[in-house]
Amino acid sequence: MKIKNYLWVLFLLVLGSTWAQDGEISGTVFDANTNLPLPGANVLVKNSNRGTQTDFDGNFTLQASTGETLVISFLGYVNKEILLEGQENLQIALAEDEQALGEVVVVGYGSQQKRDITGSVSTVDEEAFDDRPNTQVGALLQGKAAGVQVVSGSGKPSSGFNIRIRGTNSINASSEPLYVVDGVPTTDTRSLNPADIENISILKDAASAAIYGAQGANGVVLITTKKGSSGKPRLSFDTYVGVSQVWNTLPVLNSEQYRDLMTELGRNTDWSQYTENTDWQNVIFKDGLSNNYQLSMSGKNEGTSYYLSGGYTKQEGAVRSSEMERYNFKINFSQEVTDWLEMGTNLAYTHYSDVDVTDNTSVNSGGVLLGVLSTPPNIGIYNADGTFTSNPFQDWENPVASTDGAQRGYVNQRLLGNVYAEIKFFDDLTFKSNIGTDYSNAHYDYFLDPFRTSYGRAMNGIGRYNTNLTNYYIFDNTLNYTAKFGNHNIEALVGSVYQKYKWENSTLERRNFASDEITTPNAGSELIAGSADKAEKANASFLARLNYNFNDKYLLTANFRADGSSNFGPGERWGYFPSFSAGWRISNESFMEESNTISDLKLRAGWGLVGNDQIGNYAYFGRVGSGGNYPIGGIVMPGTYPASIENENLKWEESEQVNVGLDISFLHNRISFTADAYLKNTRDLLLNAPLPRSTGFDNAIQNIGQLRNKGLEFQLNSFNTQGAFEWQTNLNISFNRNEVVDIVGQEILTGSIAGRGEVSLVREGQPLGSFYGYIWGGVDPETGMAYYINNEGESTFEPSADDRTIIGNANPNFIYGITNTFSYRDFGLSVFLQGSQGNDIFNATRIETEGMIDSKNQSAAVLDRWRAPGDVTDIPRAIAGNTDNSRLSTRFVEDGSYLRMKALTLSYNLPESLINKMSMQNVKLYATGENLFTITDYSGFDPEVNAFGGSNTTLGVDYGTYPQTRNLILGLNLTF
Amino acid sequence: MKIINFKKYLFGLVLAASLTACDDELDLQPISEETVDNAYSTGTQLEAALTGVYESFQSNDYYVWDRVLFEDVRSDNAYAGGDNPEIFQMDEIDISTTNSRVFNAWSAIYNAISKANLVIERAPQIEQDITEQQRERFIGQALFLRAFHYYNLVKLWGGVPLITETIKSTDPSEVRIPRNSKEEVYAQIISDLEMAVEMLPDTYGDDASINKARATKGAANALLAKVYAQKPSPDYAAVLEYANEVINSPANYELLDNYDFLFDGNHYNNSESILEVQYLGGDEGTWGPQMHLPPSISGDTWRKFVTPSLDLVAAFDSENDEIRKDATILFESVPWIDEYWGNSPNSSVPFAYKWRNASGWASADDIYLLRLADIMLMKAEALNELGRPGEAAGVVDVIRERVDLPPLTDAETASTESMRDAILKERRLELALEAERWSDLVRYNVAVETMNSVDDVDLRDNQPVDYNMTQDEVLLPIPQNEINRNPQLTQNPGY
Repeated sequence: MKIKNYLWVLFLLVLGSTWAQDGEISGTVFDANTNLPLPGANVLVKNSNRGTQTDFDGNFTLQASTGETLVISFLGYVNKEILLEGQENLQIALAEDEQALGEVVVVGYGSQQKRDITGSVSTVDEEAFDDRPNTQVGALLQGKAAGVQVVSGSGKPSSGFNIRIRGTNSINASSEPLYVVDGVPTTDTRSLNPADIENISILKDAASAAIYGAQGANGVVLITTKKGSSGKPRLSFDTYVGVSQVWNTLPVLNSEQYRDLMTELGRNTDWSQYTENTDWQNVIFKDGLSNNYQLSMSGKNEGTSYYLSGGYTKQEGAVRSSEMERYNFKINFSQEVTDWLEMGTNLAYTHYSDVDVTDNTSVNSGGVLLGVLSTPPNIGIYNADGTFTSNPFQDWENPVASTDGAQRGYVNQRLLGNVYAEIKFFDDLTFKSNIGTDYSNAHYDYFLDPFRTSYGRAMNGIGRYNTNLTNYYIFDNTLNYTAKFGNHNIEALVGSVYQKYKWENSTLERRNFASDEITTPNAGSELIAGSADKAEKANASFLARLNYNFNDKYLLTANFRADGSSNFGPGERWGYFPSFSAGWRISNESFMEESNTISDLKLRAGWGLVGNDQIGNYAYFGRVGSGGNYPIGGIVMPGTYPASIENENLKWEESEQVNVGLDISFLHNRISFTADAYLKNTRDLLLNAPLPRSTGFDNAIQNIGQLRNKGLEFQLNSFNTQGAFEWQTNLNISFNRNEVVDIVGQEILTGSIAGRGEVSLVREGQPLGSFYGYIWGGVDPETGMAYYINNEGESTFEPSADDRTIIGNANPNFIYGITNTFSYRDFGLSVFLQGSQGNDIFNATRIETEGMIDSKNQSAAVLDRWRAPGDVTDIPRAIAGNTDNSRLSTRFVEDGSYLRMKALTLSYNLPESLINKMSMQNVKLYATGENLFTITDYSGFDPEVNAFGGSNTTLGVDYGTYPQTRNLILGLNLTF
Repeated sequence: MKIINFKKYLFGLVLAASLTACDDELDLQPISEETVDNAYSTGTQLEAALTGVYESFQSNDYYVWDRVLFEDVRSDNAYAGGDNPEIFQMDEIDISTTNSRVFNAWSAIYNAISKANLVIERAPQIEQDITEQQRERFIGQALFLRAFHYYNLVKLWGGVPLITETIKSTDPSEVRIPRNSKEEVYAQIISDLEMAVEMLPDTYGDDASINKARATKGAANALLAKVYAQKPSPDYAAVLEYANEVINSPANYELLDNYDFLFDGNHYNNSESILEVQYLGGDEGTWGPQMHLPPSISGDTWRKFVTPSLDLVAAFDSENDEIRKDATILFESVPWIDEYWGNSPNSSVPFAYKWRNASGWASADDIYLLRLADIMLMKAEALNELGRPGEAAGVVDVIRERVDLPPLTDAETASTESMRDAILKERRLELALEAERWSDLVRYNVAVETMNSVDDVDLRDNQPVDYNMTQDEVLLPIPQNEINRNPQLTQNPGY
């Protein structure tokens, strides 16, 4: 039976469907309201491949016979079906689709019709990430929404994403947005299952984020998971298999060239021992396989709505040993208990595990990516005794020692969800109570055997076991009132929120293992570390919102939130965050109603304050740390030390934001365009202001300084063609300018690189992420030494620290994403391009691979190095142990602009006639390629770099970053 | 209908009751940390704060290891070894203002001072669980430790900001403190130590592992002897006085008969020791020895740091000082290349050997901060400078006798000048790789002359190494990073 079905599929795939036609039919399509003709409407014969579009006057002609059904569709109108019974010259009136205009957008503590929104909200729905590898939420947002910058610190499967909404808002407090999953705030999105997500709303301006007050300064990402909808239960099964690869390799010296360089550096050895020619990129980079299975069931009947899912995803990295694995279970359930009471739950359990690889550090510290480049080809992987080989001149082990040497595994089990009840006191007054939790229990296992690595031998093996437990709960209650008096529509909301976090950490390390048979710490004889600590944080809030709408023309929203945080002292604990926004739907004014070109036009403006308390726990206390222990009399005496300076005046970091926007749609919403301009001033920065170290402290947390972000965002959505061939274009582009307005005249240096000092500078008048260093002059042909340009404009071999200046800016001029979606009959094609323009990268990887100061292998670029007096080149001479030729300078600053084919998807839906026979609703096959090509001048592995992870101040530094990979997947979606 | 309404209002009321979020819920106290309000109430808490000051000896790279770089690698005793450009700078006496080890040392020493200031400030206010004797001893130890740290600061940088109170405000006008003069810093050190001498006991009982761990009257006297010699316009009468206080102390300091016992790892907290940094191994272990010790001991095969110099080995050999040479240096053939020792694999290369156990980065080897032989040689130095070279020779000969060396020759003891050379050399051989050499060269005002006459040859290109040292380079640069934070600071000349 089954085989027969599949044969059928194949047979029909080859043949296509049959072609039956007789008579010709013609008609006109027009707007039911205005009686104006509708050009470009689609007319199709149901269950056939015959179709056409109306001409400029709304007329059409096509082959059809009596008994067949015509389907007439036009964007923004309700579809119409007409059974042919011998009519002639059909007059077809299409009614405007109120639903299309009434698209509902999830906002804080509720939802709103898109047309009523007065703040700046971007949405990304399921369709945008349906056919992408099911990895992380962050990956799916990249390039999809204006004003949202997604920076990946690393291409490894275990890496999270750094998301900045409208720029970086803080120097020391977190700049990550708040994520809210079905009403439960969270910070970790790494283990969320994207397959369960229905849509994502991004609240970008203060007016829309102010309802989250103190947590909203960096924007809010609202994630809504799938609910049961249709009457009939729906079962779907999705799967894919894929492969990921490093798309770029970098040329390095071969054995002979390495030997020449070492000889030049005065390093000799018995080269007959080092006769291999290992391509380390070949050894470390591999094809990472991934696979994914998701099964879900949903439905709705008699007041019960349910969505159940289970999934499994495994992704191997393109770098040896790295991997990620995730099991997900999800249940969303709601029940109308009585006509006044509804109760429900959204619960997700995730079992997430990964194996990390060390990147963003040098081979000295076990960095794999720099190890790949700086390990000489002259050695093999293993010595005869099974230990890992090392550099001939220094015991830097080859990168396989880092990937394979230690067993390491991170496991996180997480329960995220809520239970809620909603009471309808009156039709217009509802009360909702919600208890949510984000409970995660993580542990990290590490075992380094006592034999194979040099470190392991020195330690006689290491076993570690660390646990991190995070227990978060939220309890919120809101009262919602809606009313309509004539043309006045009012919605009012008041509520309270209480949130509490508790963290519990423990760590255990033992050394001295007799063998590698037991990998847990119990087998080690020597206790090196064993400790546990706890911390808490609490927030209490009261919130209120008023939406007012007059005749769908004048829209007004006001928010107010009062927030208290345990991070601040009793005097400054509460912060107050108001916002106001207004909208004017010009298209509903009588002078615009007749317009056929402009179907919707709305002006928006908003002002608001939002806050940030994302700084260390108990921040205002003068904390006294323990663990400053010291042995006296052979006994370890407990010791304490002052850990921070008390600051009773510590208070909220406050971000004042102004947003103006325009939403406009043309041609019955075929083209819609959104533009926004914003100005954000963050004041009273929570700044770890550096103190002179002579105070005994490194810094003190204070409210000083001001940052500014201003920017423009544009989003365009266009249905270019319709009918059998559909073509839709989505375009977004964002410009953001960041400036440190005031940090009371201080300068903060961050981002230390390879013993050459710090590369990033925070300075007033400059953006965060400014590079700081020397100006490269060139190479002296006589000595081969590098010279630099000092602040007098003169050449010097030995510039002083004062000669350093701003040498680059890691912030892009603009970022953009373009998605083109084509469909022709059952075939679909989606082309998603994404890019960043005008940002600099500090390629510190080249300091390691072109520095020529020690016995690390170097890149092929050093073949041009200076060797004898008279050589004219821009690569200085090799000189052992001397960093004068490889200072932090403009030599290593590169243009990091790129345009990449982020995703290309080709999909095929099996014809309806066929799947009906298999009693299925939908069968889709697809193939997706990610990062298929990248256009960039950047010389490193990949232009998406961020060696310093989520740092607000050190951006765009490449120091052996695990590159973004090229991924290919083949997928199948089945819906029953 | 009414009942239904009643139910729904009741239900709503129960939920709404929780609407009242309470401000008390936000008053959270740290769970795993104390605060300044509850950390210094009792004598045991004060003792914990004092223990925290001692802990700087373990937790700061400067005391764990970098002091050897600043004193022995920077001088003629050792090469940098290893692979660290910032340590090469020290070896080459070409230290950049942005050298992070210089900044770390500055920061770490001042951190220790701030902890000592806290103990001195808090001690008088504590009423619970404390006796007057305890209080006095806690203050005395803190004063000693503060003086010890300032002594290191002033030797490394010259005049530094003198801070003797804990920070009360982060206001720039309060924290941006300019440099005091070298003389002012020494005056503070001396005043602290003189108070400490009055407050500290000779011993804390019979347990040597307490008496050598804590500051004692002997330690304060010993440091006073060194300070009076090192300061501008030394006071040799005072050096002699305080050295004699140590030598004649009721704590009964005595040289060990066997020099090697000082370092073999089995005789720590011995009678010769006056103050030593304590380690037990494991999580109270030190990573320092792993940086020095050869593959046969450390178990790993990367190139080690602090390679004893040809000059140092020659100095031992010129005296036929086998005992101290063997206790200080261990030769071993190694797979890597050393550009001063053979420049080919499997050359025999010397290793710093005053720590003997690496124990997987967690060694139990202690560090001597003050020991009797050092103070005896300070006494000899004082006697000699006071015009009594003959008596000085007598003291030096005691040190020499222990390691089976003959007494100084008549030529050496003939004059104050010749004795000066003899004492400096004796100090070098006795205290090599114990972080005394640079200070000795500076105190004798021979650092520039000595460094510029070292005959090192870099075998990679067979070029003699020219240290090209200037008088300015006696001092380290004030870290640029600190000048950025405190624009009141002036840079040392020459940087």
